[in-house]
Amino acid sequence: MFTRMSDIDRMFEAMGLLRGRLGHVFEDFDRSFDQHPGWLAGGNYPRTNLADRGEFLELIAEVPGLSKDDINVKIQGNYLEISGTRNVPVPEGYQVHRSERASASFTRSLTLPADVDSEKVTASLKDGILELRMPKSEAAKPRQISIK
Amino acid sequence: MDGKDLLKKEQGGIDSTRNIRKMTPLVDIYENDDEILLHAEMPGVKKEDISVNIDNGSLTLSGLRTIARDGATDWEEFGDVEFQRAFSVPQTIDVNKVRAELKDGILALHLPKSEAAKPRMVEIKAG
Repeated sequence: MFTRMSDIDRMFEAMGLLRGRLGHVFEDFDRSFDQHPGWLAGGNYPRTNLADRGEFLELIAEVPGLSKDDINVKIQGNYLEISGTRNVPVPEGYQVHRSERASASFTRSLTLPADVDSEKVTASLKDGILELRMPKSEAAKPRQISIK
Repeated sequence: MDGKDLLKKEQGGIDSTRNIRKMTPLVDIYENDDEILLHAEMPGVKKEDISVNIDNGSLTLSGLRTIARDGATDWEEFGDVEFQRAFSVPQTIDVNKVRAELKDGILALHLPKSEAAKPRMVEIKAG
């Protein structure tokens, strides 16, 4: 009887192992899509995240190696455009062995879920991440309604 | 088979519990007479979350990025990730003098060549 139990145990273990392996295969497969440098995706560079924080919208974008002079941000109502150029110069006097980071120019336009007050937008750049804080226009802000 | 088998724990493979996505950072590699220079793209990684390991001719870079989330997400195209990549480096690298800098999400790694490995002009004496 005990022998049997341990056999069953072992079978489940083997199944668990297989599941784990398969999981890795799927992960690797997913990852192969991530590997493309952004510009190959066409209009999808830079990658962005957008969060609604009530009073304002917060957008972050991945812009490694770009300085603030390389990026232009244009906002009108709920339309946002991020454009710029990325230069990857070869350092003086060096010979190139491998070059995966390409120079390119990019434009991405996004439609925001709410109108924002373009006058009050603030932008900051840190560790290759661009962060935009876009206060919503008065009409789009959340409001407390009192019940009469 | 006896009772002993029941006590012995059989484990084929242990999956890591930490299931953070791994990504290969894009790199540029340059070389001049004095050093090998490596640039790796790691947007959003802080200085303290980067580790550079050189051991027995292999160089491992790792950078962990965690993105703070706040408010309601409208869309998310990138997230927490571990940038990881390994290279083999020639033995002629002076491991003690390796320098790293992080700027705008780009890690720059300077791998100086040891004195013995630098190119040298050989003078030809007239006979």
